[in-house]
Amino acid sequence: MAEILIYGAVTSAIYAMLAVGFTLIFGVARILNLAHGSFYALGAYTAYVLTTVLHLPLLPSAVLAVLFVAGFGVGLERALVRPLRGSQIAVLMITLATSLVVEQVLFLTFGSEYRNVPSLASGKLTLLGVDISAQRLVTLGVSVTALSLLWLFIQRTRLGSAILAVSQDPEAAQYMGIPSDRVFATVMGLSAGLAALAAVLAAPFLTVQPGMGLLPMVKAFAIVIVGGLGSIPGSILGALLLGYSETIVAYLISTSWTELVSLVAVLLTLILRPAGLFGKRAAF
Amino acid sequence: MLASLTWKDLIGAAAAVALLAIAPLLVKSNYLVGVLTVAIIYGLWAASWDFMSGLTGRENFGYALFIGAGAYTAGFLDTAYMANPWWGLPAGVMAAVGFSLVLGFPTLRLKGPYFALAMLSGAAILQRLMLIFWEKTGGEEGLYGIRPLLDSQLGFYYLVLGATVVSVMILVLLARSSWGVILRAIRGDEASCQAAGINVTFYKIASLAISAGFGGLGGALYAHYQLQVSPQLFSIVTTITVIIMVYVGGMGSIYGAVGGAVLLTLLTELLRDFGEWRLLVYSLILILILFFLPGGLIAPLWRKLRGAAR
Amino acid sequence: MSALLEVAGLTKRFGGLVAVKDVSFTLAKGEIAGILGPNGAGKTTLFNLVTGFIPPDTGTVVLDGESIRGLPPFRIVNRGLARTFQLCRPFVGMSAQENVLVGCLGAGRHGSETAAARALELLGMVGLEHKARTPSELLPYGDLRRLEIARALATNPKLLLLDEPFAGLGTAEIEPLSDLIRQLHREQGLTILIIEHKLREFMKLVMRVIAMDFGEVIATGGPEQIVRDPRVIEAYIGREEEHAPA
Repeated sequence: MAEILIYGAVTSAIYAMLAVGFTLIFGVARILNLAHGSFYALGAYTAYVLTTVLHLPLLPSAVLAVLFVAGFGVGLERALVRPLRGSQIAVLMITLATSLVVEQVLFLTFGSEYRNVPSLASGKLTLLGVDISAQRLVTLGVSVTALSLLWLFIQRTRLGSAILAVSQDPEAAQYMGIPSDRVFATVMGLSAGLAALAAVLAAPFLTVQPGMGLLPMVKAFAIVIVGGLGSIPGSILGALLLGYSETIVAYLISTSWTELVSLVAVLLTLILRPAGLFGKRAAF
Repeated sequence: MLASLTWKDLIGAAAAVALLAIAPLLVKSNYLVGVLTVAIIYGLWAASWDFMSGLTGRENFGYALFIGAGAYTAGFLDTAYMANPWWGLPAGVMAAVGFSLVLGFPTLRLKGPYFALAMLSGAAILQRLMLIFWEKTGGEEGLYGIRPLLDSQLGFYYLVLGATVVSVMILVLLARSSWGVILRAIRGDEASCQAAGINVTFYKIASLAISAGFGGLGGALYAHYQLQVSPQLFSIVTTITVIIMVYVGGMGSIYGAVGGAVLLTLLTELLRDFGEWRLLVYSLILILILFFLPGGLIAPLWRKLRGAAR
Repeated sequence: MSALLEVAGLTKRFGGLVAVKDVSFTLAKGEIAGILGPNGAGKTTLFNLVTGFIPPDTGTVVLDGESIRGLPPFRIVNRGLARTFQLCRPFVGMSAQENVLVGCLGAGRHGSETAAARALELLGMVGLEHKARTPSELLPYGDLRRLEIARALATNPKLLLLDEPFAGLGTAEIEPLSDLIRQLHREQGLTILIIEHKLREFMKLVMRVIAMDFGEVIATGGPEQIVRDPRVIEAYIGREEEHAPA
């Protein structure tokens, strides 16, 4: 039981970082960003290059990786998404194309073999009678901190409240003189940064390979659908639900079934309650 | 407008089909026959994707599900039950239509992006199930030892060409009939369709089922061409490849999608030395099309040609 | 005259708000009637309940002696009850003629050759025949109204529900549209129910008014009678002043 409790918490924390970024973009820009998975993959590979190829120390590498991917997110919004924002489908396609390009570039540069990113913390700790690697605990701690900081940023700063305003009503926000473009770019950067942070933290105990972004993207999507698109509390709750259900399924049945959990959750939510747990609007 | 198929369209179509039919006779190469077979199966997939998604505007990101369903059904029948391999074709169609009905009812209530992603999830679930039940499905390797339908590779090519020509004709005629008008109206505004007395649910599900059925047929043909099927068929990459072909062809025109499929497949072969670059090139093409040719390449080109040949 | 539409005890709640409360009225065959009421009085919700776009909580809707409550909207349309929307909703990317054609293609009205001709004829009836091939997104708002009416007529209705047909029109467009509605009533024998709050045009057009406020029917009667009804004056004029823009 204790194992499920602890491992589930770590999985949920990683999912929450991915899902909150995904839902932020949707809430603010009404965009389903299919390139979200590539932020994750890029984060892991940047950390790999900085540490293993350039032999930089770990902590600065992690920070640089997050910043780099955040910059990539802002650039993506500027160059590719903004000109097409008029059409939802075009944005869906352009973010999808971007994710394919990123995956292929990673594949052509690094090949398909698995890469290793060193852990920020080494060793093992015993918690509630469960052996758990220090890296997992660091992951849990850092993600809770990052999400709390994000929450504070949105609640307490001018730019944060602008983000909230735009996500609630883009047109009204425009009238009130909030520059939506800047808000969009900020959110894209935040969301990309969070995904990269999740990757840097999780990479040491997961596999780093070019196609690694797809599954986290599908999961982020699943969580956001379950929690309700655009709702931050909803996606955190969704992350906990999914993180724990997957951990339970992995223990009770087999790890090969875990990926089905999120997909079945999506289908069930879309059929039973399309607005999600915390969504304001139904998905149709 | 209704029934605007002109004799010019017919001549254009006949010329394209004749070219595809004669090509393997002029250049006697098994390699070319193989490439063209694959190109035309992709053409069938692209056309049927376009029929549902291009006309109603509901992009189906899980289309590979229907391809995979058709291919695996044909593969199972042949390898596990040793049935007459020809039964694989109708069975593949039925399986795909069955899946479309089961998935269509809940998901077609959803708006564009949600429908797209729900279907994507559906395809991913099936791909996953193929790996979970590996004892039955062969896991990553898939099913092997599927028998060919015809001994002659050229004969099989003509079978595929014939099946595709008939299927695409049916789809084009449907798209130009009152069906097409209704599907395009659904793209425009569902509430208005209801107010015009149209049974929107029926048309959406029926068009998904039609799209799925031809996808399944293509899947079954593909299984008997490759002589094996793998879970990769269900993957997002398969769907994306088909969608990019439709974008290159021009959404909503159906014949354009076939052109896009043939063009891209041939292009891939020309870039064979850059084999690993294929998807990268496709993705870049998609980005360029989205930015510079939102109407696609083939269909607008044909409209220009047709207009010039007065 | 026999009753074409009988609505009884229709109620709809949204959360805590009662949008339509125990509304009952009948429409006689061949009548032009109107529903009057300030914004938020529940007029459009009532239309949506009658036409099946929103399911009612309680109440009955009977069209020509048959219950249509609970039927999906398209079936209600095919029983002979057509509607237009307050905001025009044309099929973008399709020509005017194709827009009307869609209405000709509902159940039991098939046969696309005759349908195309019928669509053209209906466009003529609303005065848009010269714009048959114009993409609907290029039509001015006044023409879109007519297009919506033609699309509704394409379903061969017995009863036509018009949701604020004059909304968004310039003064020069109101009079001709009024004439068109009258002509449809006279020549096609249509029964028509109109929601409106532009008082003057409306009162000239309708034979009978159903006044609503806060989701309830507060008065029914001829136009002259209604404008003098104290409850209507209070509900309508009183609120109008609060946020009167002009």
